[in-house]
Amino acid sequence: MNAAFWILAVITLMGALLAISLRNLVHCVLSLILFFLGVAGNYFLLRADFLGAVQILIYIGAVAVLILFAIMLTRNVTGTEGPRDMFGLGWWAGLITAALVAVAVWITLRSAPEAGVTSAGQAVGSVEAIGRELLTQWVVPLEVLGVLLTAALIGAVVIALEEVRRRR
Amino acid sequence: MEQLYQLLHGWFANAPDAVLRTVAIVVPILLIITVFPGVFAYITLIERKALGRIQNRIGPNRVGPWGILQPIADGLKLLTKEDIVPRRADKFVHFLAPVIAVVPAIVLFAVLPVGPGLVPVDLPIGILFAFAVSTASVLALFMGGWASRNKFSLLGAMRAVAQVVSYEVPMVLAAVAVVMAAGTLSTVGIMHKQAGGFLNIAHWYIFQPWGFVGFVLFVIGAMAESARTPFDIPEAESEIIAGYHTEYSGFKFALFQMGEYLASMAMAGITVTMFLGGYNGPGVGWKYIGPLIGVGYFFAKLLSIIFVIIWIRGTWPRIRVDQLMAFAWKVLLPMSILNIVAVAIAHYMESKFWAWIVTAVLLFVAAVILSKIGSPQNVERRTYRYAA
Repeated sequence: MNAAFWILAVITLMGALLAISLRNLVHCVLSLILFFLGVAGNYFLLRADFLGAVQILIYIGAVAVLILFAIMLTRNVTGTEGPRDMFGLGWWAGLITAALVAVAVWITLRSAPEAGVTSAGQAVGSVEAIGRELLTQWVVPLEVLGVLLTAALIGAVVIALEEVRRRR
Repeated sequence: MEQLYQLLHGWFANAPDAVLRTVAIVVPILLIITVFPGVFAYITLIERKALGRIQNRIGPNRVGPWGILQPIADGLKLLTKEDIVPRRADKFVHFLAPVIAVVPAIVLFAVLPVGPGLVPVDLPIGILFAFAVSTASVLALFMGGWASRNKFSLLGAMRAVAQVVSYEVPMVLAAVAVVMAAGTLSTVGIMHKQAGGFLNIAHWYIFQPWGFVGFVLFVIGAMAESARTPFDIPEAESEIIAGYHTEYSGFKFALFQMGEYLASMAMAGITVTMFLGGYNGPGVGWKYIGPLIGVGYFFAKLLSIIFVIIWIRGTWPRIRVDQLMAFAWKVLLPMSILNIVAVAIAHYMESKFWAWIVTAVLLFVAAVILSKIGSPQNVERRTYRYAA
């Protein structure tokens, strides 16, 4: 268990580091996929099978593929020119983001129940439990999210239609 | 895996636990990576033979009697070919793509129940796992096409990504119908729900109206996802040479082919599990030989689906890109959503007979209307200038 965690942790961190430090955008996305895989592996390790599978399905199958598709349609993905701004002025933004993430992690850790992952893990992370929670306690946020995503989808179609009409 | 461990534990009670666990993990893996690529090799032979017959040829018949050693000759030939990498290619990604084409395809077999008690891992989310893994195959197509630094490869990769992403949606929704009816995501659980009835056949989901529609949708989606003719525009040789694997040679090319075939085999296996009752059939419950019969049924069903896919490949022309997209979004997607509604109706209606009739009528009407809407409008009758 422990060895698996360390291997996954190294893979995850390596993917994340490569994703922000490589120059070629496609390489960045591929390392990002490695990172997603590492996170999914961690979910599996925590016995949240459903979350792990969904992580792969959505983040690798949809999000990463969408990013790749967008990159494929852009020129100059190698990005050898231009300043390397990673340790330049942008570090303020990085610092603020890091602080925000740290606060978020801290709040989550404080509000989380005492490490009950292994004992009740299967029950908490199972599909039935998640489905029941989503359709009882969290049904309003779920529906609101659904409406929001539908609106976004229709908006995207409208924008695309406009372009088609202009071209004709 | 777990059962193998129990069995080994019974036989060698005093062996160290770690050894038994390792054996119980390694044996299914070895079986998967030997049996299925072996079946793959002979499916290529079957395909070449069948295509040959469809095209009024004999097919391979020189290597061994009836050409049965042809796959070995093919493998050796591809192994000895020079491995060419384009000079400006992205070497690392170019190398990685064929590997990634094969790995998810093999991992898919981990959740397939091949026979009674013969499932490598019985995950509680088996079906979801299979879809999650199968989406990774699109990465291989993309990586291969992009890393080759070839316009045709890149075009092929773009087509591949667009096609796979579009056809995945109706395919997964078709599976959702089955999951709703079975009430479980486990492949073994879904298969057990289809056991019993007349000759152990009557409860297969394909005999329900929604099951039949789901089966058709799923097979179409699986064919599109593994880029088989008529959905082979990512590698349409008359348009873009060989698409994403134009720049591949030798065994890397063979790996791409292997990934494609293994993925279609695994998808056929999942189709068998979800719609054709898995290994269920008359006589599976018999003592001693029952499991063997079950394995036989499974592979017979799997190979017949593969044969139908080959048959379609041999007889149908390739679909145009715009038709392909229109078909996925205008016909398959609404149909799969309606299919989910039909499952819900069938579930809540009291009389199973009337539920069957009502869903059948609903789905039939929907299919007729959708095919009218989805077919291209204002198509002029084609006039031939030189042919009769």
